Amino acid sequence: MNGMLAVARRELKAYFFSPLAYIVLTFFLLVQGWTFAIIVSYLSNPQFPAGKPLELFFGQTIFTWLVLIFTGTFLTMRLISEELRSGTIETLMTSPVSEAQVVVGKYLAALVFYLFLWAPTLIYVVVIRAFTPVDWGPIAASYVGIAGIGALFLSVGVFASAMSKNQIVAAIVTFSCLLVLFSIGLMENLVQGELWKQVLGHLNLWTHMDDFAKGIVDTRRLVYYASATALFLFLTTRALQAKKWR
Amino acid sequence: MIEAQNLTRRFGAFTAVDGVSFAVGEGEIVGMLGPNGAGKTTTIRMLTGFLPPTTGRVTLGGKDLFGDDVAVRREIGYLPENVALYPELRVDEYLVWRGRLEGMDRAAIRRRLPEIVERCLLGDVRRQIIGTLSKGYRQRVGLAGAILHDPKVLVLDEPTVGLDPKQIIAIRELIRELGRGHTLLVSTHILPEVELLCGRVLIIDRGQIVAEGSPESLRERWQGAFGVTIEFAEPAAGQHEALAALAGVETVTPDHEPPHRFTLACAKGSDPRAEIFRLAVERGWTLVELAPARASLEDVFVRLTTRDTGTATAAPEIEEVAS
Repeated sequence: MNGMLAVARRELKAYFFSPLAYIVLTFFLLVQGWTFAIIVSYLSNPQFPAGKPLELFFGQTIFTWLVLIFTGTFLTMRLISEELRSGTIETLMTSPVSEAQVVVGKYLAALVFYLFLWAPTLIYVVVIRAFTPVDWGPIAASYVGIAGIGALFLSVGVFASAMSKNQIVAAIVTFSCLLVLFSIGLMENLVQGELWKQVLGHLNLWTHMDDFAKGIVDTRRLVYYASATALFLFLTTRALQAKKWR
Repeated sequence: MIEAQNLTRRFGAFTAVDGVSFAVGEGEIVGMLGPNGAGKTTTIRMLTGFLPPTTGRVTLGGKDLFGDDVAVRREIGYLPENVALYPELRVDEYLVWRGRLEGMDRAAIRRRLPEIVERCLLGDVRRQIIGTLSKGYRQRVGLAGAILHDPKVLVLDEPTVGLDPKQIIAIRELIRELGRGHTLLVSTHILPEVELLCGRVLIIDRGQIVAEGSPESLRERWQGAFGVTIEFAEPAAGQHEALAALAGVETVTPDHEPPHRFTLACAKGSDPRAEIFRLAVERGWTLVELAPARASLEDVFVRLTTRDTGTATAAPEIEEVAS
């Protein structure tokens, strides 16, 4: 437990000590601010249909997904691959911490930093609140969705990061996997067969996020994120253990 | 204290370590010696729990190192060959992290840190960012990290490699000091280091232990011929032949430079030094040097680890000069 926290704390420190984190943070806020500005100016134009700005911010646009997929990739690509490359993994694996503790510790650090990235977007809620009453339910639900889907994406990234010494390889693998994970649900409307439609419909992250933004929290979806996250973290642990045997 | 039983490690078809067994007792300083690629680092990685052996086991105080209980690893302090640190951390931040990793609480780390910093001569870089440190300092930070939690067994893989002579002396001093109160296993390919530090030596070659014992006993056991080095003031015809004709002299090897300097290998038990002196007086050759050449641990090492045993490296030299 202590070992896991030690790993998580060092990893968080590493985020704030590296330029990558600040670049991600800057662009994240730029993109989010830009998106928010577009949405607000779109809605304030009387020619266009009325809508709820925050619902649009979290769901129904591609921007959320671009941000999710890119942050999922950039925040995780370094995590384990850098330890493998530099050799610090040797110190980690010869101290009294298990592979699982290392993996979970690193994952937690990524998750905390990810949530930290999203925290400033609460300002948009405050801004909207200044002009119009807001419905808190859908907003809370949106953040639950952001946290859940983010948690899943980060676990994929951690897994990919354990596969290679090379951060770039880890990033490419993560990006591709996240793209598949995101778009597989979109195939819902392309496939034949009721069963396939249903399966893919359940996995359709786009509708998930749309629903979250409308305030619908379906616990089955949360279970999906949690179990898939657990699966990827388990696979990461296995991958680290397997590295020793080669 | 730490025991390796029949350790074998294969990487694909390549066998890096082949059936190595040994034990290091409490308080012992054992040196592991071997040429590059002999399997030292692989052996050490198995001893520290990093690399599981293909077959065989490692026990520490009777407990299996590769069992489910990772807490066993707490008893080992390990300095890897390539000391890898986190470059973005400051020295003391890194050491605090290592302490936490080893399960020390905050108070224990705070108590121990100043002592370790002082022992490893890190006082003046304590607040420096590791990425900006020289190799010697990094080595010391690694060592400080390895001993911080006061492990029972210390395993150091080539602790002085890449250091300048002054740093080497400082690190050796530290290792010797650590030897009091710790069980120590040091791997190196630097021979004087072993002679200076270790009570017992394991010589490893091609994945196997080829010799084991105290530096003295190894020297004695493997000291084949008694050697004599002599040098005359100037060259003269017949020096080589006259020396070779002496009783008990097996081979005469002239040095390149100057040509009137010779190394003699003598039969076991014979000492031709008096004969040489008489010969010199008889012929009127002035002797400027007459010294016994004791087999060093280096000779033992070379003899044990050279593929075509012993003479292979020396032979071409003789021919060259003779022709």
